[in-house]
Amino acid sequence: MIELHHVSKTYYLGDTRVKAVDDISLTIKDKELVGILGASGSGKSTLMYLIGLVETPTHGQILLDGADVSRLDDRQLSTIRNQTVGFVFQQFNLLNKFTVLENVLLPLKYCKAKIDFNPKARAEELLTKFGIYERRHFFPNKISGGQQQRVAIARALLLNPKIILADEPTGNIDTKTGKDILKLLQQLNREFNTTVIIVTHDPTVAQITKRQIYIKDGRMVKHL
Amino acid sequence: MKPKNGLSHLLVNAFADLKRNKVRTFLTSLGIMIGVFSVVILIALGLGLKNYIQNQFESLGANLIMILPGNVFKGEGGVGGGLGPGFSGGADFKEKDINDLKKIPEANYVVPMFFKSAAIEVKGNSRYGYLMGVNEDYFPVMNLTAAAGHFFGLSEVNRRAKVVVLGYTLADQLFDRPTDAINQTIIVSKERFRVIGVAEKKGDNEQDTAAIVPYKTTYGSLNPNKTFFTIYLGVNDDKNVEKAKEKAKATLLKNWEEDDFSVTEQTEILSTVNQIFDIINLILVAIGSISLIVGGIGIMNIMYASVTERTKEVGIRRAMGATERDILNQFLTESVVLSLMGGFLGLLLAALAVLATRPFFPVSLNLLAVVISLTVSSAIGIGFGVFPARRAAKLSPIEAIRYE
Repeated sequence: MIELHHVSKTYYLGDTRVKAVDDISLTIKDKELVGILGASGSGKSTLMYLIGLVETPTHGQILLDGADVSRLDDRQLSTIRNQTVGFVFQQFNLLNKFTVLENVLLPLKYCKAKIDFNPKARAEELLTKFGIYERRHFFPNKISGGQQQRVAIARALLLNPKIILADEPTGNIDTKTGKDILKLLQQLNREFNTTVIIVTHDPTVAQITKRQIYIKDGRMVKHL
Repeated sequence: MKPKNGLSHLLVNAFADLKRNKVRTFLTSLGIMIGVFSVVILIALGLGLKNYIQNQFESLGANLIMILPGNVFKGEGGVGGGLGPGFSGGADFKEKDINDLKKIPEANYVVPMFFKSAAIEVKGNSRYGYLMGVNEDYFPVMNLTAAAGHFFGLSEVNRRAKVVVLGYTLADQLFDRPTDAINQTIIVSKERFRVIGVAEKKGDNEQDTAAIVPYKTTYGSLNPNKTFFTIYLGVNDDKNVEKAKEKAKATLLKNWEEDDFSVTEQTEILSTVNQIFDIINLILVAIGSISLIVGGIGIMNIMYASVTERTKEVGIRRAMGATERDILNQFLTESVVLSLMGGFLGLLLAALAVLATRPFFPVSLNLLAVVISLTVSSAIGIGFGVFPARRAAKLSPIEAIRYE
């Protein structure tokens, strides 16, 4: 369960103080499929990075399964990011110098804990499931956008995270492939019991989510 | 199962990144390569020179006292100063000095030495070598043995016999076989000498290219002032070297002022020479180090560029759970690999250069230089890599991910 209590994030652009997230409180339960909606610049991505522990809040508290994670140090935050959170980005963000399989295995490089499965077998299983096993030795720039996004999702899932954070996951692919990707995220939510949070500006994307949170100017304006 | 990460991943990663940009990698390592090459080669040359000089001294006999003009150990006019002994005044030793020194009971041998570089001719074949005017004691003092023929004795000296003993190298250069020299005539400054002996090779360039004649024979046009450049004393026992030195000094003070001459032994000169070469080596290493530093700055420059280029990658890795330290190590590994690669190449090149130079000059690649250059190149990798790596580690993950 993720809880945000009066969370704010302020940063400076030159001399201008920007309140990207302004006093947001919300709770996302385990296994939920939630959409965070807002226009470009509304602060929805910052909110996502706060939930994903890439950023720490200026004010307020973030609780993960009841434990306060808003004031942890870099090492502790990195460990949680590595094992609890999986990111899916609009730009896929794969490393072009590594093959598909190596990209999927990347989170393993930063895993300091013991794992009870064979990571390579799991990576291959995920790739098979997503229909890109044949491409496992390709470099990312040699496969299509939809395929790249599947690789990115496989990478996010490698270490069995509790939460998947997807930032405009369909933003860089065509509508039909986008639909497939969304279906995949839905499927993860159902089959793996993963909490999935989709950040988007596109209300049609948010339709697949069971709950939508609307953000405007850093504040939560609507909660369905 | 414990996932494997750490050094192997860092190295694989560093090589993958360096391989992507082969030309840049090579050019960056080139700086360190040249630096390491110059440091190693300069040390090799410096040590080679030092060894060479040391061997020259050691090839002289033991228990040898040398009397040189000028004050060797006091600033000007000495080995430690400008031009070396003899070039800035001091005594021109005379026959009287020789006769006085012969009265010292500890001195078995007293050798006057007239010394001059000269063209030495045989039937139109001319070589540059040294003409030495000495007495018969020279041969035992220098531990010389005859490769052919025999050496001259007291009677030839007193008769001013026009005879000569050739150093081995000189004889080899002038004749088909060194032994062919015997009974041939050579011409030095228009004076003709008959070759009566060839000395065994000594490994000392001056000795091996010398034409050795009785000193009194030089008293004509070659040495009209009848002076000597150096006097050698062979002491009967090494326990008596100090005593003999004192006595020689006292003897010569009757004929000369204190600063006109120096009484010294080879260990004393050797330690002065060693000191000089230690300083020269230090300077050489310092000069070589400048190129190492320049190479290091090159690495720093490239690593900064690389950090900027890979900002997004840093963001991605951070999102996947990389700590600041993981990122720091990643970039640091890369700069160390870059720098060590340069170090190895430089070392390899220096080894080849040393092998190529060996036949002409006694250079030596010493282990210390190897260890130091590799240590220094990894230190440079760390030292100059740490700032760019820190910048990468301190990047805000969120800004890094969004960086285009």
